[in-house]
Amino acid sequence: MASQQILFSPAELAYLHRSLSLKPPIRPDGRAPTQFRPLTAETGILPGTNGSARVHFSDGTEAIVGVKAEIEKTIEAPRAEESKPESNEAASERTRGDWLELAVEIPGQRDDEASTVFLSEMLREALLADKEFAKKLFINRRFHWRLYLDVLLISPPLSYPLPLLSLTTHLALLATRLPRLKSEGDEDPMFDDDWEASTFLYPQEGTATNGSRPPITLLVVAIGDNVIFDPAKEELAVAETALAVSVAEVRRAQKAGDMEVDSKGRELSLLSIRTIDPPSRLTPPGVPHTSNTGSSAFAPTKLQKAGDQETEGVWKAPLGGTKFGVLDGIIQAVLEKGGVADEVLDGLEGVELS
Amino acid sequence: MAAVDDIPSTALPGKVLGPTSRFAPGAGTHIFEGNVVSSLMGRVTIIPPAKAPGPAKRLNKITAPTVEELATITVSRHGSKHEILPDVDNIVLARVVRLMPRQAIVVIQQVGETVLQTEWQGVIRVQDVRATEKDKVKIYESFKPGDIVRAQVISLGDQANYYLSTASNELGVIMAISEAGNDMVPVSWKEYKDAETGISEPRKVAKPS
Amino acid sequence: MADRRRVNGPGGITVPPIYEAEDLPLPDRSRQPNGIRAQYLKTGVTPSASGSAYLEIEPQNGSVSKGMKLTCTVHGPRSLPRSAPFSPHMVLSTHVKFAPFATRQRRGYLRDSSERDLSTHLETALRGALIADRWPKSGVDVIVTIIEGDQARQVAVEQGIEEWDMMNVLGGCITVAAAALADAGIDCVDTVSGGVAALVPGKDGEEPVMVLDPVPSEHEEILAACCVAYLPSRDEITNLWLKGSLSSDANLQRMLIARAVHASKGSSQAVAASLTEAALAG
Repeated sequence: MASQQILFSPAELAYLHRSLSLKPPIRPDGRAPTQFRPLTAETGILPGTNGSARVHFSDGTEAIVGVKAEIEKTIEAPRAEESKPESNEAASERTRGDWLELAVEIPGQRDDEASTVFLSEMLREALLADKEFAKKLFINRRFHWRLYLDVLLISPPLSYPLPLLSLTTHLALLATRLPRLKSEGDEDPMFDDDWEASTFLYPQEGTATNGSRPPITLLVVAIGDNVIFDPAKEELAVAETALAVSVAEVRRAQKAGDMEVDSKGRELSLLSIRTIDPPSRLTPPGVPHTSNTGSSAFAPTKLQKAGDQETEGVWKAPLGGTKFGVLDGIIQAVLEKGGVADEVLDGLEGVELS
Repeated sequence: MAAVDDIPSTALPGKVLGPTSRFAPGAGTHIFEGNVVSSLMGRVTIIPPAKAPGPAKRLNKITAPTVEELATITVSRHGSKHEILPDVDNIVLARVVRLMPRQAIVVIQQVGETVLQTEWQGVIRVQDVRATEKDKVKIYESFKPGDIVRAQVISLGDQANYYLSTASNELGVIMAISEAGNDMVPVSWKEYKDAETGISEPRKVAKPS
Repeated sequence: MADRRRVNGPGGITVPPIYEAEDLPLPDRSRQPNGIRAQYLKTGVTPSASGSAYLEIEPQNGSVSKGMKLTCTVHGPRSLPRSAPFSPHMVLSTHVKFAPFATRQRRGYLRDSSERDLSTHLETALRGALIADRWPKSGVDVIVTIIEGDQARQVAVEQGIEEWDMMNVLGGCITVAAAALADAGIDCVDTVSGGVAALVPGKDGEEPVMVLDPVPSEHEEILAACCVAYLPSRDEITNLWLKGSLSSDANLQRMLIARAVHASKGSSQAVAASLTEAALAG
């Protein structure tokens, strides 16, 4: 992220910052502070995968995600000589996070670049945070599914791609189906060849829908006193704080059909928060570099007053951290009942799974 | 100053040193919420305002009240090297490394009185060599690789180079070695002479101080 | 017929050594929930670097925790490579590396994804504290090496622990890097320090409790954890990393962040005491 050059002049930045600090903020693309960019989404686009999705944002960025599952033998822990046979329950507790392999590819960036690794770790962490996900990959004590999640950004990274990648991953996981298991117990697994009989990784209906759903990660920035969701590139360039907040819906035992009637009753659980280094710190300041106190040989003759004082209307890159209250405000805005996360999840539920 | 007593002798980054109404920030400090705050680890030095009041003059003109009467606080580490950067208007000493028709590439080695730990590359463009008759300047008649040049920083420049200028009498080559390999002495504003061989070489000579 | 010309391997099969499980009872946390481990910090340990620091987190008596040892070196400010574009600020690059022997599982010499992830976190934490426009056109490298990670051999087998250890490591990295930056004489708005807090299940099925500076192996399970980089005198947070499953109860995550800030205040006191000593000496 830091490597991305910010191509805005100090005057542009000052203008953007001013208009985004107003109450209510005026966003360059005219959206409301909590509004997402319009998007088109489809699932099941890749026939060779267990699940796939494609999401296209209106700003021209597009991502596809393919989910592939393979059977893998579970490596037993070296202390396996314990004689007492574990119940299936206890064994399924011993799931491992590395059953999931997540790779992110961004055009023009190496896949081992820190920012790409950061993105994939963020998506991975949100998936594994509640330990529910790995349990879904458990077949029996000897075998498990190994899930490969390949996230591809197929357009140039015009804006910070995190929300796009997260939404696409969410949809792909919802659309993921695993073959139905025919064998029983700890024998070598046998599967039903009929793809029609396959089961969804995240069941669509029935009592099995209880538990957590795949997470979504929202990018939220604070500018002035405003909290702005899904920032575009220009907005991120002047943000004082940027947080990536991952939430997931947790479905409790409820009567089927209850969901549609009362979509406001969605229970959200917070999975992870990460601070994202806002690129605004690397923006050029608007005031001329009047003094440099570092050069002690000459500095005492000059006063650096002008350099440290913020001048109205002149852009200066933000310095220091964020107050606790601001961070808290962002998190509250995400978790709010009927807030943005709800809205996004509602929208994603409308996507037909094939 | 009466207010000096409550200033700590050492400071860490983030330590509040005093309000801006009483102190001016010097090296190693910054301003935060109306206070001068240390931004380095080291000892605190207070430099009293450099004013020479002298005998009180009769007021014969109206002057704006100056801000210069504040004591300056600086934080620096004693006895340890402190890296500094060349800045605009600084006088630097640089060694010429390469000549090109339009510019000379130099390496900055000293800023003011401070010898640098790292080498910074600078460039003296042909139009910055001297103040007059700029159109007649030839780089090859002004510098040679290996010369030590006193120059002034005029810009932080581009990605690679600081932009330097020698357009002043005091600026230019201060040390040069002849083609025969001997030290030379300046003989005029545009010539150095090898004392042993007696051959003169053209240079942009700095006025000896 | 046996091959006599070559040095043959043993005739029978070999098995990799399996260490006898030292069946220690799962150690409990002996500290108070709001107590952090003692820290030792020393600056100026690497003479060739512009600034350096060494941080040691005390191992606990009777605990499986082996403490943590980290060093940080700061190189710079120095000129940027010729290919780098003009920057009006100091360009910060951070590298976090585990020594190959730092953890139970041997680390390779190439940085793996968790190390890269940590360095991104560290970069965010430090960038908020640096006054980067004092040093235009220059770069600074911050290199943190974890000499000894906080992992005991016998307990890390349990899965999931490693992930939580990362938070502790990051907290240490932030603290040690801030001290090294101060030693290097690079302008910062404040001495940033790291702190970790975690939500662990209570004993005997009680309500979950929050602990400061958690040692993952001392707890059966960690429900959620939070690592902050905190500027004590400005009361600001430069980096926040929280993960785990928290219910929608808003107070829980608010409390967790507040506890992590509390932990970082504790370690900042230790850092301040040691840095003041160094400032007086130097």
